[in-house]
Parts: sequence; C-alpha cells; structure tokens
Amino acid sequence: MLLHYLDLSWRSFKRTPLVSFLMVLAIAIGIGITMTSLSVYHMMSADPIAHKSSQLYAVQLQVMDDGHTWWTSDNLPLQLTYQDAANLYKSEIGGQRLKMVRSGFSVYIDSDTVKPFSQSARLTTPEFFNMFDLEFLYGEKWSLQQEENAAPVVVISEELNNKLFAGENSVGKIIYLDDASYEVVGVTRNWPLTIKYYDLNNGSFNDPEQLFMPFSLLEAKQLGNWGNTNGWKHEDVRSFSAKLQSEMVWIQFWVELTNEQQKNDYENYLLAYMQEQQKFGRFNRKELAYSIRDVNKWMAYNNVVSQDNKILVALSFMFLAVCLANILGLLLAKFLRRAPEVGVRRALGASKRQIFMQHIIEVAMLGLLGGLLGIVLAQFGLLGVRQSYSYYESLATMDLTMLLSAPLIAISTCIIAGLYPAWLVCKTNPAIYLKSQ
Amino acid sequence: MLKMNNISKVYQTEMVQTHALRDFNLHVDEGEFIAVTGPSGSGKTTFLNIAGMLEPFSAGEYLLDGIDVGKLNDNQRADVRNQKIGFIFQGFNLIPDLNLYENIEVPLRYRGIKTAERKRRIEKCLEQVGLASRAKHLPQQLSGGQQQRVAIARALAGEPRFLLADEPTGNLDSLMARQVMELLEQINRDGATIVMVTHDAELARRAPRNIQVVDGQLADFTLYQGAQNLKNVAGA
Repeated sequence: MLLHYLDLSWRSFKRTPLVSFLMVLAIAIGIGITMTSLSVYHMMSADPIAHKSSQLYAVQLQVMDDGHTWWTSDNLPLQLTYQDAANLYKSEIGGQRLKMVRSGFSVYIDSDTVKPFSQSARLTTPEFFNMFDLEFLYGEKWSLQQEENAAPVVVISEELNNKLFAGENSVGKIIYLDDASYEVVGVTRNWPLTIKYYDLNNGSFNDPEQLFMPFSLLEAKQLGNWGNTNGWKHEDVRSFSAKLQSEMVWIQFWVELTNEQQKNDYENYLLAYMQEQQKFGRFNRKELAYSIRDVNKWMAYNNVVSQDNKILVALSFMFLAVCLANILGLLLAKFLRRAPEVGVRRALGASKRQIFMQHIIEVAMLGLLGGLLGIVLAQFGLLGVRQSYSYYESLATMDLTMLLSAPLIAISTCIIAGLYPAWLVCKTNPAIYLKSQ
Repeated sequence: MLKMNNISKVYQTEMVQTHALRDFNLHVDEGEFIAVTGPSGSGKTTFLNIAGMLEPFSAGEYLLDGIDVGKLNDNQRADVRNQKIGFIFQGFNLIPDLNLYENIEVPLRYRGIKTAERKRRIEKCLEQVGLASRAKHLPQQLSGGQQQRVAIARALAGEPRFLLADEPTGNLDSLMARQVMELLEQINRDGATIVMVTHDAELARRAPRNIQVVDGQLADFTLYQGAQNLKNVAGA
C-alpha cells in the first residue's frame, strides 16, 4: 500500500505542480536556513576527540591569593604558572601529561622560491602527539632526551611540508626559525580539527599550529609567548628568568586519566601539591581550589558555543515554523479540494486510517523533496558563511549526520504540519460529496 | 440480506430539527431487485446512505447480512462496506486522475487483494461491461454511458452481494439508460441483491419489487412479478 500511496502522492504533485512546487520551495527555504545554522552549531559543539575525550583533562590551579578574582565562572585562572606546569609535569602521578605554550617564528629555508613567512608554533612536550592523536607521515616525534636537552628539532605539519619541501620526505632537513636552524624530525599528517580544544585562549576555531617543538626550547632560547600571559599581582618580570619564576599564568597543562581511581588520585595529588607549595609562601588561601575538566567540559566551560549561536539556531527553527505554517494553509486548501475524491474512496471501502495515511505519505514526500532542495540551499548558505568569515571555514560545512538529518527534519516537521489537514480530510462525511459530485 | 427496523435519521442544526427518516422498516431478501421511488426530499438518498453505511442513523436497528451495523466502529463499517457492498452513483464518481483499470482497482486495493487477482477481476469486469479495450483510458475520454458502465464494473469487481444504485441512469439518455438497466438486471440474475433509487417510474417498474418513500417513511409497497408479467397485464 505504501508504494500505492507514493504513486498517488506523485500524481497529486503533478496535478497541482505550482502549489506543490511552492510548498517544496517553502520547506526548502526553511530547511536551508535551519540546516545552515544547525550545521555550524553541530560542528561547533561536536566532540573533537570522541574516543578519549573523557580521559583527557585540562588542569587548573587556584594560584591567586585570597582577595583576588578572575573572570571565569569559578574564579580559576585558565592557565598555569611556568613553575607549576614544570612541577606537575615532573610528577609520576596520573597517566601521560603535557605542558605547552603557543609561540611563533618567521620561517624560511635555503631556497630561492620559498619566501620567508610568519608562522605560529606550539612548544610542547612529546606526549602531545600521543595524547591528541596526531599521526606521522614521515619520521616521528622528538625523544625525551631531546626534550631534556632542548635539542633544536622541529615537527612540521603536512601542509607546511608541502609548502616548504613540495611534499617530499623532509626528515633531516633544516629549516630556519627566526635566526636559528632546526632539524625536521617528523611530519604530521593533516590534522582536521574544527575546534582547537587543546588551547582555547586565542580563538576556539583557529587552525592548529604547523610547527611543533620541544617545550624546553622556551627557556633555552627565551622564546616569546604568542598566546595569553596574565598576571594577578604586581611582580617585577623584566627579565625572562623572572617571568619563569613569577605567578603569571601562561602555560597550558593536560593530563590523561583513564579511570575514576586515577582521577581521584590525581585530584588528591593536586591538593597535596598546593599544600606543599604553601610552605614556600605561595597559594596564600584559606581554601585551596583546583579543577580538572575533560575535553567536553573544558569546551563548555570556555563557552566554545556562544549563546549567540544557540539563539541563532532557535531563530532559524522559528523561521522553519513560519514556513510550515504557510505549508499548513496550502495543504488545507489542497486536501479539502480533494474531499469529493476522498468521499468516493471512503464509499469504496477506505477506512479513515487509510485516507489519513495516504495524505500523510503525500506530506512526507513533499517534506523529502523540500529537504533535498533544502540541502542544496544550505550548501549555498554555508558557502556564504565561509566566504564572509574565514574564521568559520572548517565549521561551515555539513557532515554526514547533518546531510542525513536535513531530510529527516524536513519530513518530520512536514508531517507535523500535515497532521491537521490530513485529519480534517479523513473525517470527511462521504455522503455529502457523493451526491454533489 | 437487509433488515431495517424502526430506523430514524434526524439532522440537527441550531435552529431546526429535520426528520429525514422516521420509523423506517424494510426487509430485503437475498437476490431481490428493489426500486425505491419517491419525490425529491422524501428521504430516498438518506435511506441509501444509511443502507450503504455512509451515514449513521439516529435510532432503530439495521442488520446487514446478519451484522448489527449500529455496533460497528468506523473501521469495521469500512471493511463491511468494502466486502459486501457495491455502489453505483448518478454522477459516476470516477476518480479523474486514474484510468479505467485503476478506478476499478480502488476498492480491491483497500481490500488487500493481490496484484494478479486484482488484474483477473478487473479484466473480467471490464469485459462484462464491454470496455475491455478502453482499460488505459481516462474517465473524461468516455461518454456518460460508458462512464456509468465503468462505475458498475468498479462496483462488481469486489464481487459484492449487495449493490446500491443511486439514480444510476439519471445522467444518461434513454438508450444508454436502457443498456445500464439491462446490465443491472443481468447482475441481479447472477445473484446480487440490488437496491436502486430512481425517479424514473418506467425504470422502477422493471424492478420486481417497488417501494415508495414519502416523508421519510415507507408509503407504498407494490410487488411486481417482473417486467414481462407487467407487459402481459398491460396487453390483456
């Protein structure tokens, strides 16, 4: 019967092509706009590392003395001091851990064709690649020994390797960062990341860095911080070593904790660490505070998806509702005009349920066609977003979930709009129309 | 086959109460051919709609083939209508978008009959009404008489035991009306019970049994022995 209903729906579409097309267009516009905003929202709120997001924790310590406040919801600074990051990194508690900071250089090689350019870099410990699932195209990460010795080595991204070395295996080659030479030890595969969750300080949706280098180079070469540095009290930080010893926060710290026991142990450790540090005159507080948040909680805490985005999605759904209200009116007119035919069908043995189903399938078909056209319109919408804001380049796309959702949303919302007209026509009294036809 | 005991039908509006049928009693036996006549507004069509379960009645008892219609819900009424009743309307009521084959197929689909069986029945019925070669034509490509034959074929395809015809020749010229009447007589001879509402006295006289409805009640009852007997009486 389903195929028969589909056949009848198609005939109905052909019988009133203009009205049907208008309905499909109305659905398509509603779906196009809804899917544009929903796709961006979906990509923004997607779990960037689903299989281990609940095992990776960003660490925060309440380093400020009593009486000082921060702008976060729980008053905790978002980053750590250099000395705390160094101490936590040295500890054996918990699983893998890393400390990192954003820096940057002017990059050039011995070549006539590649002009020098400015490029941000991530100074980090080698655990970074394992913890955040980066894969290597050539070579590998630097060793712990190279990390300890502040070896002048660098891992570059596939994109940067294409730019500098035309995609060839560049392991062992030399690149120049500012005025120093560094040996390439690895090339990472493209890292498609929509949210830069590991460092949300300088734009949640910026691209990941393309240069990765030992964290120890920070101190050895006194490299600059391209990220945020925040202080909370007056300190004399005119020298680099003073900055390293200061209470300024500028280092990000992550730890991998695979089970609840490990998490509890780590939390106890953080508390013990701060109590230990109090002996050195630090953490002057009545109540010590810290936080470890997994990836998704970290993104929520940092308001990766802003309230504006949520409002935009709600508004687009309201627009879809307006489109559906129009469709409801058109469906009422279309279905009620067909009441005499429905009367005949009822007289010939169709139950109300069968008449209802016939019309609901017709509405679902309109929804499907509207949904498919809506996907095309959404592509134009997303293209517009990408061209207007480069910031949204990796976000304004439709993944498979969204592609499949569009027709489903269109069909289900159309069915909701079609319930009343279909119910009205199925309870037609056949006797009224049989005589008058 | 059909038993109506004290059936009443009242149409209620805010201002007026109209009694379309009042204490209507009728028994129809299997295989009968009954013509129902009466002036306009007398309740003929209301009777036919109630007989065909297209409208509920206000009071009384209606048994169709032993089934108490008053106790059926909408789905059950649709099933009984589909299984036991064939309709023929004055205005043919063919679905304009469907060709003849598809029009006849409509009640069979609702009954859930398989494709091959549907095809067999439709071809047989089209053959029976002399339109086998026009199966793919749309209703508007046919004359009125041909359309009514298609409507009869549609009513027959379900192999109903009970045929309800509402002015089946009302929109036809006399030649076509006669052809349709002959077809109905043939169907009756084949075993179907027919109740036909008509204004046409001559046509009514061809039915073996006539009833007249006046003011929503059975007013007169005449049993004819058949058209041939009537001729003989007239001739004598």
